[in-house]
Amino acid sequence: MSESVRTTRVPVVERVLEVNDQLAATTRADLERRGILAVDIIGAPGSGKTALLEATLRALKGRRHPAVLVGDLATRRDGDRLARWCDQVVQISTGQGCHLDAGQIRDALMQVDLSEVDLLLIENVGNLICPVGFDLGQAAKVGVFAVTDGDDKAAKHPYLVQAADVLLLNKIDLLPYVSFDGPLFQADVRLLNPTVPILEVSSTTGAGLDAWLDWLDRKSADGGASTPIA
Amino acid sequence: MHEFSIAEALAAQVLRHAPVGGRVREVEIRVGALRGLEPEAMKMSWDAVTHDTPLAGSVLRLDLRPWSLVCPACGRTWESPVPFETCRCGETSPRPTAGDELNLMSITVDEDETTAEEA
Repeated sequence: MSESVRTTRVPVVERVLEVNDQLAATTRADLERRGILAVDIIGAPGSGKTALLEATLRALKGRRHPAVLVGDLATRRDGDRLARWCDQVVQISTGQGCHLDAGQIRDALMQVDLSEVDLLLIENVGNLICPVGFDLGQAAKVGVFAVTDGDDKAAKHPYLVQAADVLLLNKIDLLPYVSFDGPLFQADVRLLNPTVPILEVSSTTGAGLDAWLDWLDRKSADGGASTPIA
Repeated sequence: MHEFSIAEALAAQVLRHAPVGGRVREVEIRVGALRGLEPEAMKMSWDAVTHDTPLAGSVLRLDLRPWSLVCPACGRTWESPVPFETCRCGETSPRPTAGDELNLMSITVDEDETTAEEA
């Protein structure tokens, strides 16, 4: 009997987030089959994601049938705020988790009556970094920056800028009061992502919201037309 | 701190792939620059996640892929750990691109020869 030890290198080559990605793919197929546009809204704490959703839900009243999943570390405050504007709001408390994942979305969707829904708005945990790499099964990623965050935030968060299908520059009503170099912000975005639409909005005044709602409508129409039924 | 979630997913993945009876000595992952993974945070998360598991003591090796930069003025291309860099020709806006791959590449295991023969 030999006591020698043999060292072997086993090649694997598999995505680390394979399990998450497979769950997300299942969710994506389910939502596409039902004709539901799902958007994952990613932005820093305080960038105005919840206020944007409130304004969006208010404007969509009677036009669309949205459901909202909202991720938060600890409280239910965002969910309570949004429940005033939408019947179907599910709060996902992530505890220590700095991002939502595909499993949490699937669990949360069990609490939603999808038969009446045509738009799924997912507010991710406030964080510009961690949520980007976790596929939730969304059709589009929405990046939210606020002028109050500073004009360097696009350059410092290249993954979100490159992964986003649309970027919202929020709180433009506060531009007169903060130092924000708009052309620099735009130039940084364009270097990282030459084609992503940048929509300037204010959830407070409603400025620019029509362009955002149009984008949602167009995306829904595109998704419906181009998606093969599995 | 997405490194912790990634370490958790990676540990489960390594346990699925590691040969039965082998002791995992080293795990190698390849990470695109877009992921923004912090190597020290990743290694710390790996140690925390694998503590008191069959993977305890294994070493995580990261192959961090750099940014590719293309200068629109002189056409030079080069690699860099950061996305925004001035070209040596003076152009201040070279175009950065990077991958977002996050792949387990290999697992290195120690196996007792006798155990291996019996199996």
